[in-house]
Formats: sequence, C-alpha cells, structure tokens
Amino acid sequence: MQNKSEGMYHDVLNHLTRERLAELESRPRTGLIIFLDYTICLMPVVFGLLALAEYLYVPNLKGNTSTSTYAYFLGALTIFGGGFFVASLFWRRAFYVLRYKAPFYAFVFVLLTVYDYLTLKTGRLVLPYFPWTDQILNAMWDDRVYLLDCAKNSLTLLFSGYFAGALLGLLTGTACGVSRTVDYWLSPFIRLLGAIPSPTWIPIVMVIASTLFSGAVFIIGLGVWYALTISTMTGIRNIDKSYYDAAKTLGAGPLQLVFRVAIPFAVPNILQGLTQGMSSACLVLITAEMVGVESGLGWYVSWQKSWAQYGKMYAAIVVLCVVFVVVNRGLEVIRRRLLRWQEGLI
Amino acid sequence: MNTLILGHVHKSFARTEGQDVTHALNDINFSVQDGEFLSIVGPSGCGKSTIMRLIAGLIFPTAGTITLNGHPITAPDTERGMVFQKPTLFPWLTVEQNLSFTAKLRGLTKNPDYRAEAERLLTLAGLSDFRNDYPHQLSGGMAQRLALIRTMINHPKVFLLDEPLGALDAFTRMNMQDEILSLWQRSNHIVLMVTHDIDEALYLGTRIIVMAPRPGRIRADMANDMPYPRNRTSDEFLQWRKKVLRLLDFGQDINTKEESQ
Repeated sequence: MQNKSEGMYHDVLNHLTRERLAELESRPRTGLIIFLDYTICLMPVVFGLLALAEYLYVPNLKGNTSTSTYAYFLGALTIFGGGFFVASLFWRRAFYVLRYKAPFYAFVFVLLTVYDYLTLKTGRLVLPYFPWTDQILNAMWDDRVYLLDCAKNSLTLLFSGYFAGALLGLLTGTACGVSRTVDYWLSPFIRLLGAIPSPTWIPIVMVIASTLFSGAVFIIGLGVWYALTISTMTGIRNIDKSYYDAAKTLGAGPLQLVFRVAIPFAVPNILQGLTQGMSSACLVLITAEMVGVESGLGWYVSWQKSWAQYGKMYAAIVVLCVVFVVVNRGLEVIRRRLLRWQEGLI
Repeated sequence: MNTLILGHVHKSFARTEGQDVTHALNDINFSVQDGEFLSIVGPSGCGKSTIMRLIAGLIFPTAGTITLNGHPITAPDTERGMVFQKPTLFPWLTVEQNLSFTAKLRGLTKNPDYRAEAERLLTLAGLSDFRNDYPHQLSGGMAQRLALIRTMINHPKVFLLDEPLGALDAFTRMNMQDEILSLWQRSNHIVLMVTHDIDEALYLGTRIIVMAPRPGRIRADMANDMPYPRNRTSDEFLQWRKKVLRLLDFGQDINTKEESQ
C-alpha cells in the first residue's frame, strides 16, 4: 500500500505541468473556495443575461427606437461566455484563464448595460452626441462595405509609410551607430528633423507631393524613420565592447561585427523603436486623413461628423480601435518571438 | 613547432583626461613554444591583460615586436584564441549557436568535421543537455566552460586565458583548473594564462612569470618543473608559493613580523 502511493507520487512528479505544480504547492482548496471560483467563472454569463434583460424589458424613452441587432450582439457575447464556462469545467487551462478574466468580462457587460440605460432608456446622455450601442452596430453593419474599404485604404497607407520609414531608419541608425564619420555628418540633421513633430509637415507636403498618398507615406515614414534611427543607434552604441573583442578573436570581420554582433545586440532597442514608430505612424495617419487624404478611416470619421452622423462616426472609431489593437498585438507577438532569449532575464 | 616571441614590447595608453600617458608595459621580452603552459601572475595594474590583448591582436604595441612563427601580429585571428574574464557569450544565441558562432562566420556550419567536433566538445564540457538553453540560464562554471570550448573549436595555436576563472567560486574554480590542464595536455599547444591567484599559477603552469606594476614589467621568469598532477599542499608547492609571494613583496613583511614576535 505504502509502495503504491509512493509510485503514484513519482508518476505525478514526472508529468508535472505548470498548473499542476502551482496546484501542488498551493494550499488545498476547500469546497467553499471551489464553489466561489466557479461562481466567478459564471459571472460573465449572468451579467450578459442581465444586460439582455435590461435591453429587452426596460421600456425605451419615448421616441427612441431600437432593433434586435444589439440583442443578437449581446446574445453572441453571452453564448461565448457560456461556452468558455463549459470548457473550463473540463479543461484545466481554460479554467485558469477564465477565472482570471471573468470579473473583467462581467464588468464589460455592466458598462454596456449602464450605457444603454443612460442613452436609449432614459436619455440622460442625449442624441446626437451619444447614440446607443444598437445604433452604432446598425450603422456599422449598414455601411460595412464602405467601412471595410476605408480600413483597407488606411492600412495600405499605414504600412507603406511604416515599412519604408522603418527600413530607412534601421539603415541610418546602424550606420550612425557603427561609423563615427557617418554619425558626424548625419546626426545634426537627424536631431533637427526629429525635433519637428511629424504633423507639422502635413500642410507643406500635401501641397508639394505629386499625390496625396505619396505625401502621406512620406510624413508617416518620417516619424517611423526617426524613431528607428534613434533606437537602433542607441542600441548599437550601448554594446559592451567585450562582445566585439570576443567576436574578433573568433574571426569576425568588420561587416560580420555589424550584422552578427551589433544588430542582434540592438534588437531589443530596435523593437522598442518599432513600437514607438507604430504609435507615431497611427497618429500621423489619422491626422493626415482628417486634413488631406480623402479616404481611410480618419477621413470617414471627420466626414460623417460634418454630416452630424454620430452613429456612423462612432462605428468608424470602433473599427479604428479594433484595427490598431490588432496591429499592436501583432507587433507584440513578433517582439515576444524575437526576444525569447531574454525570458526570465529581465 | 609554434613559437611566440615578444621582443622589447612597450605599451602606453593615453589617459582619458589630461595630456598624460600611462605606461602599461615596459620592455617585455619572452618567447614561448609548443607544449609550454605559461602562467603570468601579478597584482592588478601590472599590465597582464594588456599582454593578452596585444598577443590577440586587439591592440598594438607602442614599440617592440610580437611575432608568431616569425610573422608579426597585425590583427585578431582564430589561430590565437582568447577567453576573457567574463564569458562574453552572446546572450541572443543558444549554447549550440554560441559554439558554432565562429563556424558561421567562416561558412563552416554544414561541414561534417566541424559538427562532429562541436558535438565532441559539447559532451566534453557537459553541455549537451543544455544545447538549446540561453546563456543567462547557465551557471557561472557552465558559461565559462562554453566560452572555453567556443575558442577551442578553432584549434588555436596560441590559447590566451585572461583570468577566465576569476569570477568563479573556489570549488568550481579548482575543477575548471583540472579541466584546462587536461585540455592543454591533449593539444600540447601554447597556453598563456593570466591570473592574480598564485596557487592557480603554480598549479597549472610549466613556467611562471611574475610581474610588477607601474610600469608593468617582468620581475621573474621561472620554469616550474613540479610533476603533474600537482599537490597544492605539498612542501614543494608551499616553497614555491613563498618564493612567488616574496617576489610580489608580500612574503617579507610576514617573516619580519614573525621574527620580531
């Protein structure tokens, strides 16, 4: 009997997962705590249903109309929460994720409910500035073809400028970081150009550039170029000289020192520059679209605002938000992947 | 037969502030041949590391000549491998990638001989299970072992060890000393090792150079013919220790104190 339990213990230790380890080393959970955990996991579903009930059964303010779009939207979110809960019953990993996220999901439903109550149901927040969620969703759906087209144009412009600027920035940053001569001749110009906020260029460039698109690419690229130049340069300058010494005794030539030592060493800085460059690029993109370029999400927002179409305006802002969140997430994934060697170091 | 000769080598550095110049090395003369393990011992500031960097070709002498087999040293080369006090492993490369860094520079990664050698060295250093780890995951001893084999893979004619064990704890250090000895005994190439640890210098070298600081100069150059493996507690070893301490001006004081009591 003794032996058997020891054997089992060994078996557990040999197949430890991260979750299992955390469980083994934490205090045993009592029935009450387990019950509480699952109650919390169920919260999103409860608050989703409450939000639905509020929308469907509280009477609208006189004159306010609503459709079933928002109800479907809430329903879909609630079903997602329910599915997650069911998964958490069978799958440990899902349980840990949901246990962590559930309070916030529930809070989002509360926010949606409160907003709906303040607009559609009571009119405390008045039209046309505060359309209720149902209106925004409908505007988004009705204008979906055009919105997608705008999103596509925005992204094309964003990435054209971003990649051009990033590539050039990497080049000048590396050259300035590695060579004193290049640094002597270029640094003053870089500092001068960098001191000017990118949007300053919009009025000038929009007049000079052959097309509005290429003008906007130039301005977006400029900000990214500056961010990348500075970050790459700083990264390369901060290198511990002993890495160069080691590489030299291992047979590295001057170019290999740059590509195999200096640039890899500067990767964390370069990635930081890429993130910084992205936020500057997004800012310039929307500004450029609002004042000059006649397409894209920024243009859509200001255009709909001038027609007092606040529903559509918010719809575009939501799309904008989603696009930027996805882009930044993508960047973050790349960053994690490239900086795997730093895991646990910082 | 490889011969390394330093003839009347002087080295001065410009101070970071002011017009002054620091004389780091003053008239250094010695020659080393295959099969010799030269320990260089001395207090900090005596230019031990400067000698290593000069031989590696990372810096150049102010006056004098350094030649390997008659050819003056003009640049770093893989025929002169160097291990530094810090392991200087590239933190963005795994253990295996660090080891094959030099192969990559020379386009030899696919070369079967090189790969077999890499595999042999990984096993020798006890790192084969850690090949996919990153340097910060290694212990100090493992990191320094990797730095050693990263240089050894080139089979350098001259192996320069610039206080490679300085940052290790006493036990890891003694184990590593034995490992370095057995590596040298197998290859029989020239090894120059800088250290400020007298025991280490005596335990390893076939020859010991004692240096004095400001300006860095050679105070004594002695053949150490104690048979290997050496016993750190033997009378002969302790006699040697006394002799070196005296050369470094540390022995005399203790003796006079003892006599006066």
